[in-house]
Amino acid sequence: MKHATWPARIILLVLSGIILYAILSARRGKKLYLRRIPGLNAIEEAVGRAVEMGRPILGSIGLGDVDVITLQALAIISSVATTAARFAHRIVLPLRNAAQVPIAEEALRAAYTAGGRPDVFNEQDLPFLSGEQFAYAAGVAGIIQRERPAATFLFGTFYAEALIIAENANQVGAIQIAGTPSTTQVPFFIAACDYVLIGDEYYAATAYITRQPTLLGSLIGQDIGKMLLLGMIILGVVLVTFGSPFIANIFGDKDLETFAAYFRAATGGK
Amino acid sequence: MGGFFVPKQGAELWAYIIGAFVVGLGILYALSLTPKSLRKTLIAGITFLGGLFFALEFFWPVDTAGPMAGKNFLTAYIKPVSSVTTILGAFALGLGLYSMVSIHGRAVAKRRENWGFSAVLLGAILAMAIPAIWKEYDKSPQIAGFYRIMYDGGFNPLNATMFSIVAFYIVSAAYRAFRIRTVEAGILLMSAVIIMIGQVTLGQLLTAWIPNENFSSNFRVENLSNWILTRVNSPAQLAISLGIGVGTLATALRLWLSLERGAFFDEEL
Repeated sequence: MKHATWPARIILLVLSGIILYAILSARRGKKLYLRRIPGLNAIEEAVGRAVEMGRPILGSIGLGDVDVITLQALAIISSVATTAARFAHRIVLPLRNAAQVPIAEEALRAAYTAGGRPDVFNEQDLPFLSGEQFAYAAGVAGIIQRERPAATFLFGTFYAEALIIAENANQVGAIQIAGTPSTTQVPFFIAACDYVLIGDEYYAATAYITRQPTLLGSLIGQDIGKMLLLGMIILGVVLVTFGSPFIANIFGDKDLETFAAYFRAATGGK
Repeated sequence: MGGFFVPKQGAELWAYIIGAFVVGLGILYALSLTPKSLRKTLIAGITFLGGLFFALEFFWPVDTAGPMAGKNFLTAYIKPVSSVTTILGAFALGLGLYSMVSIHGRAVAKRRENWGFSAVLLGAILAMAIPAIWKEYDKSPQIAGFYRIMYDGGFNPLNATMFSIVAFYIVSAAYRAFRIRTVEAGILLMSAVIIMIGQVTLGQLLTAWIPNENFSSNFRVENLSNWILTRVNSPAQLAISLGIGVGTLATALRLWLSLERGAFFDEEL
């Protein structure tokens, strides 16, 4: 079982403090700026296209369990569903994990209600396909070929099935927006989809779409946290380059100490 | 406390199963009587306690020596508490199966379009489930053989077939991605070509005549390929992972403290 080291404790507590402070500031009404994210701007365009073409929207929340990544994916798909509900439009969301079924049903029912059309929500549009990776991929590919969705939203944890789903959707001419924290699958999505959310843009999506103060504050907190980490990395690189064992000693990292010793020797230090 | 989580046998096992069933039903009944606003507070409270347990276990200092080396006072309970997730997942499997059978059962009953696929799916579920359960009670070679035919002879080749399709999709996706229409696509193509050539022996022969020492070694294709992978690709991936890590922390905090709004709560708590 892994446990936190003292530097990890301090860094995680500081980052958590920053994020919570930013959330509280935003909830108190502080004005916040968000940069433009093309993939998220395209959501309304994709939904509008599906409505005009009279073809459904297909979503996937990937292969993950009920974890943070999957819940974030579901939150994004729910935002899309709220937009689709305004036009009384269908979203088909095939599921891979049985535990996702009740949560996804509740989330989409709430989204359709928020969009003013609870009557359009149909539980049968959220079929549980299979717990097996490629059986799920085959099922989604089959749904894509039969339903011919005009837009697909692929968010969550994906593995090799990412390309099977995305390429099938490409074959039927769907506009595709994807996002995943699985870094190994990002290149496949970039190759196959129209818009891809990379890295933490995935976590920015709900804030960007809904503009809820809590989510916006969380996003700003994340950015401050990243800047803090970036500053630490730059400081660490400079210190190690000048042969200081300070960082190596703090983290108890033997590799860093070796680097520092190498640079000390190279620059004639002790 | 430890004895409570030790696997039980015989009558004691059945007593625990029936006890858990009765307690579970009682909790469900109590929850159904709870007003909606209180239910939200209850869910937020349980979520907080669950998250607090794992956070405390991770952050609490561990013993450095003795029988508890590398552990703290909560470590022993990680496994039983984690089992709760497994048990909830088992309940959810039933829901998933119900969803699947109801959708495809109705499709067959009402002779909807493509109802034949639904019939095949329901038949396949039965054909796989019956021998898989049966072989647990009947150890005869016929049942085991039938299960092997279904699993090793049916399921595994189908799985491998789906996986093999990825190869063809990679080609079609790569073809579209590598069409040089932008500077980014050009850079992508150049790096992909260098890495592909650098990874195969035949490609490496192209620059084998360049001495593999001093400055000139930088121009050998395998070194260029390695440089792109370790000095460009890896840092970029690590940078993405760092952003994802901070994003995961923020989302986890929002869920843990029930600050999330919309999909999971009607309004901010």
